Amino acid sequence: MKDKYIDHLFRHHSGKMVSVLTRIFGLSNLDIIEDAVQDTFIKASISWRREQPKHPEAWLTKAAKNRVIDIFRKLKTEQKLLPQIQQGTDFIAINEFFLDTEIEDAQLRMIFTACHPELNPTDRITFALKTVSGFSIKEISSALLTKEGTIKKRLSRARKTIQNSKLKFHIPQGKALPNRLESVMEVLYLIFNEGFHSNNQEELIRQDLCGEAMRLCQLLLKNKNTRTSASYALYALMCFHSARLSTKINTNNELLDLKHQDRTQWHFPLIELGNMMMNKAVEHSEFSCYHYEAAIASEHLRANRFEDTNWDKILLWYQSLYALQPMAIHVLTMAVVCMQQQNYKAAKTYLDQILPNDFAQRAYLYYAALSDYYSNTKQTKKAIIQIDNAINKVSNNLEKEYLLKKKKVLLQILQ
Amino acid sequence: MKEFMMIFIGADYADLGLSPEELQNRMGKWFAWGNKMEEAGILRGGNALTPDIRRIVGENRTVSDISSAEVKEIVGGYYNVMAKDFDAVQEIAQDFPDYDLGGTVEIREIMVFDQ
Repeated sequence: MKDKYIDHLFRHHSGKMVSVLTRIFGLSNLDIIEDAVQDTFIKASISWRREQPKHPEAWLTKAAKNRVIDIFRKLKTEQKLLPQIQQGTDFIAINEFFLDTEIEDAQLRMIFTACHPELNPTDRITFALKTVSGFSIKEISSALLTKEGTIKKRLSRARKTIQNSKLKFHIPQGKALPNRLESVMEVLYLIFNEGFHSNNQEELIRQDLCGEAMRLCQLLLKNKNTRTSASYALYALMCFHSARLSTKINTNNELLDLKHQDRTQWHFPLIELGNMMMNKAVEHSEFSCYHYEAAIASEHLRANRFEDTNWDKILLWYQSLYALQPMAIHVLTMAVVCMQQQNYKAAKTYLDQILPNDFAQRAYLYYAALSDYYSNTKQTKKAIIQIDNAINKVSNNLEKEYLLKKKKVLLQILQ
Repeated sequence: MKEFMMIFIGADYADLGLSPEELQNRMGKWFAWGNKMEEAGILRGGNALTPDIRRIVGENRTVSDISSAEVKEIVGGYYNVMAKDFDAVQEIAQDFPDYDLGGTVEIREIMVFDQ
């Protein structure tokens, strides 16, 4: 008999249990809850060594229910605030919290808490990965390429903010919902991008992050209040990007741009799912930035060869995106698109509108695009100066190697 | 064939800050290892031990309760297996999943007394 459990069963269940127990005992008892849940998994991992239960999920849920009683006892002996539950009938009510739909509801509440605007933006991602996704500090640190100490600091800061601001463990309703939902989608988008654009050389870690963002986005789509055309568009975008996640890096661990990716390896079912989600997303005429980003991603997927890419359409989508979200990075991308169209004049106009400082740590993107512009317009010496600027600014090794390769080509032209 | 005991010594899982994901992966490895021994028909038994320790020491029978946090290493469990000799058990112990956590396997032969 082989180990038959679905991937990430423990991780996902940990997020579920922490969420449900928090719904019962409140955010003020999060520490005790997390310890209790951790303990459950340690016990499961040991007792399942020899014999694994037929219905592991039921086993884990039952264990979580048992934890309720443990936590009750613990809170009582520590004389902490107990939730307003009397004996008997209320315990029967607790059972209701473990129904599938209620578990999903609790998870959504946790996501909204993690993405609360009161929390520092970098703390939101960290806290969400820990509490909703069941990542350990070590796992978050390697996923976000950030020191464990920093992750610990972020977590304790997030916990403090939650306690001090007395955040409610709920899904906001009415007027408050749209803004809060936007904040949630932004965090999911960032988690996804951490995976998709990650500097991480380990494909598994990148897949984990993208997979988590998608799982959480699915939770949004399951609830009628959080299911919006923007959340559909966000999910579509994630599908389209994920479809080519594994082709971004070749077997030598080198970064491949869209031009050099093996398009036959793109994952068709995800593209189809993305298309389905996109259809849902455009049922209303109000478009979010996720709509345009998804449209751009899907346009790339539509081309059988890089040469077949419909750059006109992509430029159009970028213009709409920029109108909604006037960010320097979109201007830069439009310059790159114009270069694909060999419209170097238009590219230069875009490039002139932006400065390296607009991109902070990603200034190398600006220099690399500028270098491309010079190389395309046969100003090789200038191109080399700019690629050197880019190489000096880049921190990620994969990207550095990519730029060094480009420089080599430029040097060959000069000879 | 002789009977041997493999004794597992190391830090307690609770003190290592393992994530649910890591715990699941480790559980899978332990399970696979147990199965492998079972299928080979060499497994005679075994147990995992809780981390609570009560120690009685010396003539005065001094009793102390110790938690895993107070000792670096504790015996976490054992397996009994049938094998030809120490070398054969050493081979079996290659699959012990927790070496990377600083875990130790101690192999001891079960003493047989003359009838």
